[in-house]
Amino acid sequence: MIVGIDIGGTHTDAVCIRGRNIIATAKIVTGDDLVQTIRDAIGALSINYAGIRRTVLSTTLSTNAITEKKYAPAGMIVSAGPGIDPRRYFFTDDFHLVKGAIDHRGREYVPIDPAEVTRVADGLKKKGITGVGVVSKFSVRNPSHETSISSLIEKEFEHVSLGHTLSGNLNFPRRIHTTFFNTAVMPVQKRFVQSVRKALAELGIRSPLFFLKADGGTFSDSAADRHPVETILSGPAASMMGGLALCDDLEATTLMLDIGGTTTDIGVLIKGVPVLEPRGVDIGGYKTLVRGIKVMSVGAGGDSRVSLAGQDIRVGPHRDGPPACMGGPSPTPMDALAVLGQFSKGDREKAVRAIAPIAGQLGQDISEVSRRIVSIMIDVIRKSAGEFIDEVNRYPVYTIFEMLHPEVVKPDRVMAIGGPAALLSPFIEESFDMRCAVPDNAMVANAMGAALARTTRQITLTADTQLQRMICPELGLDEKISPTMSMNELKKRGEQALRDNASRLGILDKGEISILEEQVFNIVRGFSTTGKNMRLKLQTKPGVIDEWSEA
Amino acid sequence: MITAKKKTGLIFFPAYDWEISPSHPERQERLLYTQDQVMEEGVLDIEGITEFKAGLATEKDICRAHFCVPDVESRITPSHNVSAGGCIEAARLVMEGVVDNAFALVRPPGHHAMRVVHGARGFCNINIEAVMIEWIRKNYPHIKKIAVVDTDCHHGDGTQDVYWHDPNVLYISLHQDGRTLYPGSGFPEEFGGPNALGRNLNVPLPPRTSDEGMLYVMEHFVMPVLGEFKPDLIINSAGQDNHYSDPITNMSFTAGGYARLNEMLSPHICVLEGGYSIEAALPYVNTGIILALAGVDYSYIREPDLNPARIKEDPRIIDYIKRLTDTLLDLWNSRDNYEVKGEEIVRRSRNIFYDTDGISENQQESVRVCKNCSGTYKIDSSASTGYHILAVHIPWGACPRCREQGLAWFEKPGRNNYSAVYLQDMDNDEYTVKIP
Repeated sequence: MIVGIDIGGTHTDAVCIRGRNIIATAKIVTGDDLVQTIRDAIGALSINYAGIRRTVLSTTLSTNAITEKKYAPAGMIVSAGPGIDPRRYFFTDDFHLVKGAIDHRGREYVPIDPAEVTRVADGLKKKGITGVGVVSKFSVRNPSHETSISSLIEKEFEHVSLGHTLSGNLNFPRRIHTTFFNTAVMPVQKRFVQSVRKALAELGIRSPLFFLKADGGTFSDSAADRHPVETILSGPAASMMGGLALCDDLEATTLMLDIGGTTTDIGVLIKGVPVLEPRGVDIGGYKTLVRGIKVMSVGAGGDSRVSLAGQDIRVGPHRDGPPACMGGPSPTPMDALAVLGQFSKGDREKAVRAIAPIAGQLGQDISEVSRRIVSIMIDVIRKSAGEFIDEVNRYPVYTIFEMLHPEVVKPDRVMAIGGPAALLSPFIEESFDMRCAVPDNAMVANAMGAALARTTRQITLTADTQLQRMICPELGLDEKISPTMSMNELKKRGEQALRDNASRLGILDKGEISILEEQVFNIVRGFSTTGKNMRLKLQTKPGVIDEWSEA
Repeated sequence: MITAKKKTGLIFFPAYDWEISPSHPERQERLLYTQDQVMEEGVLDIEGITEFKAGLATEKDICRAHFCVPDVESRITPSHNVSAGGCIEAARLVMEGVVDNAFALVRPPGHHAMRVVHGARGFCNINIEAVMIEWIRKNYPHIKKIAVVDTDCHHGDGTQDVYWHDPNVLYISLHQDGRTLYPGSGFPEEFGGPNALGRNLNVPLPPRTSDEGMLYVMEHFVMPVLGEFKPDLIINSAGQDNHYSDPITNMSFTAGGYARLNEMLSPHICVLEGGYSIEAALPYVNTGIILALAGVDYSYIREPDLNPARIKEDPRIIDYIKRLTDTLLDLWNSRDNYEVKGEEIVRRSRNIFYDTDGISENQQESVRVCKNCSGTYKIDSSASTGYHILAVHIPWGACPRCREQGLAWFEKPGRNNYSAVYLQDMDNDEYTVKIP
């Protein structure tokens, strides 16, 4: 059995799955104590714990720690060399710029100064700082400055995070932010993981524990200990993965809508694979290198406040509380659905009373106004979905082949999950002029997404046969290679490295290795080829676990 | 978080699957390290700097700027459609007000491609700036006067040729002296055609000119001239081979100097031209130009191996440049004193060599001297490929007499063994080919 738990801001969903069967589901209110909430959610499933062989959590812990700035003070040691002034990316006094410069091919121009590093580290230690992040420019092409700084200071601190281990992608400012957040939320995450392990043990659950990441994949608890920053924004990822798990047509391009009370999250699945943010996700106003599913959140949900601006009906972007028909203060789309007789759980009389003033001001029939409210809400979502698709289609391409053979993303169908999804589905079909599927169990789709997500990892390999060097930053590999190494050999080396480090990377189930990017360039100097510059990105493919998709 | 003062659009198209030949300077690897540097610096995350997808220039777009012999299709590859299309996209973004300025970081380049195209010259098949300029004029007729400032190290003889007779396009080229570098042209006396005198200005700089000399010319010549010409649009042909590390030229410009130049010029559109120091120059020069366009501090952008003392120019070079600037200013100031008198048709004859493709061409050009418009012209062109064509150009805003003359040349080519006769009629946006 697999247990998936999605701890959201207001509700926590839990689901227990065996094979392709959903054994139990539960929905409880999220409490202040997340460990207790987890205990309660598992309890609410009323299942036999002995059969659990995998537990997956999606939490708001690191997301909230960052957005609410509730993290430990962390130090940063950054070396940059020439370029945009890195101090513009520093946001506390504990960021320090030190000497050192590496160029785009990973060649050292200015060495680090150990005395300077030690001096900076001493200062941080005196301030009582226990965690330090280390970042150098182009460290994904040559991690030696980050690793040398680390070896100079690691004994002095409880933990040191190195930028190159968090992502193989180029982007120095994002590397600084990502490494800082990773360092800062690490103590919070470590304490949390320990408490959860203890709580599970007390319940008699001995299964491995996984965490959901922003890219819709999972990783083991020990990997989450080292890379807590990757668990940010796992909530929206859970809903997209839930939609994927419940999707009945994996060949289609599916527009995913997770319609909640306050907002609707929009995403796209192309042939069963969610569209990712190309450079990394944003959090708390900062851009990071964390690989994540592209999700657009729009302020239109079932409980959005309905108001009048002149003769125009407005839906959202704010929520005042529950719908009027459930005792809330303002009219909402759910009230409109209640008036239309679609939402039978609500008190229709209260809904009529809430919408009547709007109908009165417009001088229109209350049913007509209710229909308009719903269609305006759907319009808001459709407009944002259109922008989302446009953005994806604007992703630049860099080869003539791709220019001449553009892959235009155009959804064939809509899939809606979340509370009001089933009620809104006929309206969505009409407005989008597409089929809108609402899966069974859409209410606990997020927990399903967590439960069923595969473990995923991505590694980046850069091989420069002229410099005879191969770097894989995520794994900390820095190897001498033969000047005749070929792309095929690099692929073999990468696959081997991915397998050898599976447990370290938090991959426990068998995953299909796929190539994300592959480029080979001849390095030509003085009119003759002096080597090859090869770039390769490998991943274990995101998706839902085999037992579910194959059963 | 850094916010740009100006909204800047970036069209990045490195054509990772196109090369002239595997070891040619114009090869896949050319913009690889530039992309690495731009990505690593997080330039695209700066609020206000946005990357846009390139477009595809159509045959119609190309035929507004060129007579391709025998036709467009046989003279270009899809890479040229994309690099010219990238420029058009940059122009569209600026013209529609989506951005304040834009940089088309595209390849292959174009400034050696002339009005008539028999093949590739100086790595260029079609003139991507000219294709863009004609697209702008077609779609935004309120843009009357355009200035192209070409800061590539090689004289942009192609752009000079395309606009030789056009008084509404001011072409200023700063380059290494043609006596020391390809294509061997670009001297002050190349001053524009009879209807466009003073609209073609060449600044041949001595080898080893560095930032100081180049910026002196910008400040004391280019900027004052632009101030008088008052263009509606400024374009920088942003070649980067004046860099001290460039393998095929002899200048000493730096990334910081290029950034300062663009800050001073403040162009609406930058188009990448040459520049073959792909590791030591391009990554830093391009980053510097993007930041300068966006109005972001570029003062820390520097080549890791920069040694300012080593590349500082000899004081004699600065003296020479100062004297050259004075001469050029005198020439510019006296531009209205020159006039072609007593002749209705002015003819010139010349030989053009296509170094990349090894083709030689002979041209007999006739232009109608006209006070009312840019003047129609025809080119009789025969090439070593065997083609012998006649090309007639009726300019934007052609006066009735020039239109009549142009049409007459097209209708009655005068001899009947041309392989083809072409007509470019700008105002009617028509391109006609007649095979006798």
